[in-house]
Amino acid sequence: MLRFVGKRLWHGGLTLAALVTLTFFVMRLAPGGPFSRNRKISPEVQANIEAAFHLDEPLWMQFGRFVWGVLRLDLGPSTRHRDYSVNDLIASGLPYSLTIGLWAVVIATLVGVALGLAGALRRNSATDYLAGLVGVIGIAIPIFVIGPVLQATFALRLDWLPVGGIGEGWRSLILPVIVLALPNIAYISRLTRTSMIETLRENHVRTARAKGIGWRRVLWRHTLTGTLLPVIAYLGPATAAIITGSILIETIFAVPGIGRHFVDAALNRDYPLVMGITLLYGAILILLNIATDVIRAILDPRIRNER
Amino acid sequence: MTGLRKGLGAWLAGAAMALALAAGPALADDTLDRGIGSEWSSLDPQVNFDAAAGWILADAYEGLVTFDPDGAIIPGAAERWEASADGKTYTFHLREGLKWSNGDPLVAQDFVNGVLRTLDPATVSEKGYYFYSTIKVKGAAALANGETTDPSVLGITAPDDRTLVIEMETPAPHILDLVGAFQFAPLHSPSFQAGGAGVFIDPAKVVSNGAYVIREVVPQSHVLLEKNPNYWDAANVKIPFVKYHVTEDVGTELKRYQAGEIDITYDIPLADLERLKAETPDEVRIFPSTFLIYYSFNLSNPDLANIDLRRALSLALDRDTLENRIVKGGATPTFSYGGGFDPDYDGPAIAEATMTQADREALAKELYAKAGYGPDNPLKLSIATTVAEVNIRRAQGAALMWKKVLGADVTVNSMERKAWLDLFYTDDWTIFADNLVGDFAGPETFLSYMRPSAEPGYDWVKPEYDAAMDAAAEQPDKSTRYPELAKAEKILLDDYIFAPIAIEPYRHLVKPNVRGFGTSAAGYHNSQWMALE
Repeated sequence: MLRFVGKRLWHGGLTLAALVTLTFFVMRLAPGGPFSRNRKISPEVQANIEAAFHLDEPLWMQFGRFVWGVLRLDLGPSTRHRDYSVNDLIASGLPYSLTIGLWAVVIATLVGVALGLAGALRRNSATDYLAGLVGVIGIAIPIFVIGPVLQATFALRLDWLPVGGIGEGWRSLILPVIVLALPNIAYISRLTRTSMIETLRENHVRTARAKGIGWRRVLWRHTLTGTLLPVIAYLGPATAAIITGSILIETIFAVPGIGRHFVDAALNRDYPLVMGITLLYGAILILLNIATDVIRAILDPRIRNER
Repeated sequence: MTGLRKGLGAWLAGAAMALALAAGPALADDTLDRGIGSEWSSLDPQVNFDAAAGWILADAYEGLVTFDPDGAIIPGAAERWEASADGKTYTFHLREGLKWSNGDPLVAQDFVNGVLRTLDPATVSEKGYYFYSTIKVKGAAALANGETTDPSVLGITAPDDRTLVIEMETPAPHILDLVGAFQFAPLHSPSFQAGGAGVFIDPAKVVSNGAYVIREVVPQSHVLLEKNPNYWDAANVKIPFVKYHVTEDVGTELKRYQAGEIDITYDIPLADLERLKAETPDEVRIFPSTFLIYYSFNLSNPDLANIDLRRALSLALDRDTLENRIVKGGATPTFSYGGGFDPDYDGPAIAEATMTQADREALAKELYAKAGYGPDNPLKLSIATTVAEVNIRRAQGAALMWKKVLGADVTVNSMERKAWLDLFYTDDWTIFADNLVGDFAGPETFLSYMRPSAEPGYDWVKPEYDAAMDAAAEQPDKSTRYPELAKAEKILLDDYIFAPIAIEPYRHLVKPNVRGFGTSAAGYHNSQWMALE
């Protein structure tokens, strides 16, 4: 098991290194720079500003500087947000992204699994159709439509929740968490339903029933683990996607998370910030994928014994 | 620089804090909530170049002068000033008993130190530009370019604690526009020397001299300011707290305004503008800014080298239809380059401005044919613009007019802002959807920019223009300087190196209970003039 984890970590590290190297050089191909303006400042001052951020050095040297910084856990200064280092900005934005992201995962999992199980156990009933409907809505309607609709309903019309910002603590997070969770509720419930129906047809379940074990006990002891395996496989990448993919939601609900920094940084050619967030997102994605594999290996002896 | 370890160590605490922020004095009646669009680029008064961040800094810092709700220059930290007869030296007299927010006495040298820090290459600030270019303070260029580090070369001195003298190489009556908080904030040296530039975002350490002090800074979210009891005019500051919210998404900002979370918005979504004007006319505030839109012609392009063709293109644009029926953003159509900002500047007589659109189009067709173009030989053009909605609408409208009136074949090439900025210097464009934001509300900031000697990048060779601008620069007073500037502008406009189009407006929604929000063209709206009723 330890060898398995070690090997995955090594591969993950290589992937991450390839990702940041590629990002570093591709980003520089885009026209414009962090300090291009339509206002002429004295050439000496322009040169001074570029030198202060090492933009005057050859690209390979800048890359070396970046790698050396990463090794010392120092991602450098932001060129757009002059008061902050990239570390500062990540430290300030990450808690918000993680808070809404993790809550969305928890809610999506609980509600999704519950809806899926209900649908599987009462196939073609009203509950099943209702769960299916929620699924279709969650997947089909894009965030930039559902977000403003919820704002108009719950903030403007009913005045129960704030439109955006973080001024009202946990109440401010309710709408972004719901919108972030919705599509995942949909996927997880469909996944759980299909998986449950399949598991119920498995030989070991039939055997358990034949032995005279009650339905309730069969469900809990013999089918749930099998049912949830695909859900867990989905959850790893989905959690990473939720944490790194909340950009639109952060903008619509004015949540000061890291996703907004990412877009802003790319548009403003804030090279250090783009690199810092790419590295962070890459690491989150890879680590969660590894964690998923490990959990699946623990739960499913077939996967474990393969290695 | 904070280590990531420290950052990650703090994030759990941060996550808890994120939930507990509701405890802050937010959304109460004693707080004015203002939208600022994108996040501020810096709260360092000697570094920040953003207009919206300038609002925060104008509340926290006060320059020698300040601007009333409608943008007029009034005494700030200086109670009075006088100019020498040649207009090259200005002497400012500070108020008695001025204090920093921590109670320290505020002296004239603090203002000198602010400018010295702006010019110091180690500060890595672009704002030194105001002192070596917009006005030419003695020694400023040498300090900014790193030729010397000797502060005594600077022509800004403090002979005593309440007197500040500014010596310039050429007279510049617009100096008063450039000694407000945005360019001329003082520096509290003891706190800066102890904590470096980090003090400006640290509520526990920041020391300022404005009507408010910074109390809380959350990146991408907000800056909270509290009334400064040590401000000289604190008795007349009515609102205890001001909160500036990052409002990146204009649609969300509107909803937050409607829900009462924001009192003054940064902008109004174009799609909602007409409806809001009809429903809540008193809350919609639209007034001209110093943001000029003009379409530049590439003079090195063989087609556009022909002045008749350039004039035809300018004439064929129906600016009124373009702005009021197509873009519909509230911009003011213009034929001038330096006019429309300072009511005292009359500018040159512009023939196009007084013609009817039908006459303009007739003349445009005539000039187009004279230049050798027609249905068999249509002109091919491309407009380079950004992806911003107003810019695309305007470019599509212009393309349509050039096609309809002249039969020219015009495409719109919209691109990301940074790519657009870079494209200009590559010279690989025919029509550039250009703009310039003036440093102050007056003609000279625009006209100086176009001087061929300033190398703005238009391939325009015109020694006469530089000479006319030099002649204007000799005049110490606006009354004698403006007629000279008008002569220069005539030379500029007569070459049709661009087509002036419109002056972009500010668009704000202001709650009916907010008093004291004026119509400053330079965009200064100090919270100290406002009240909540």
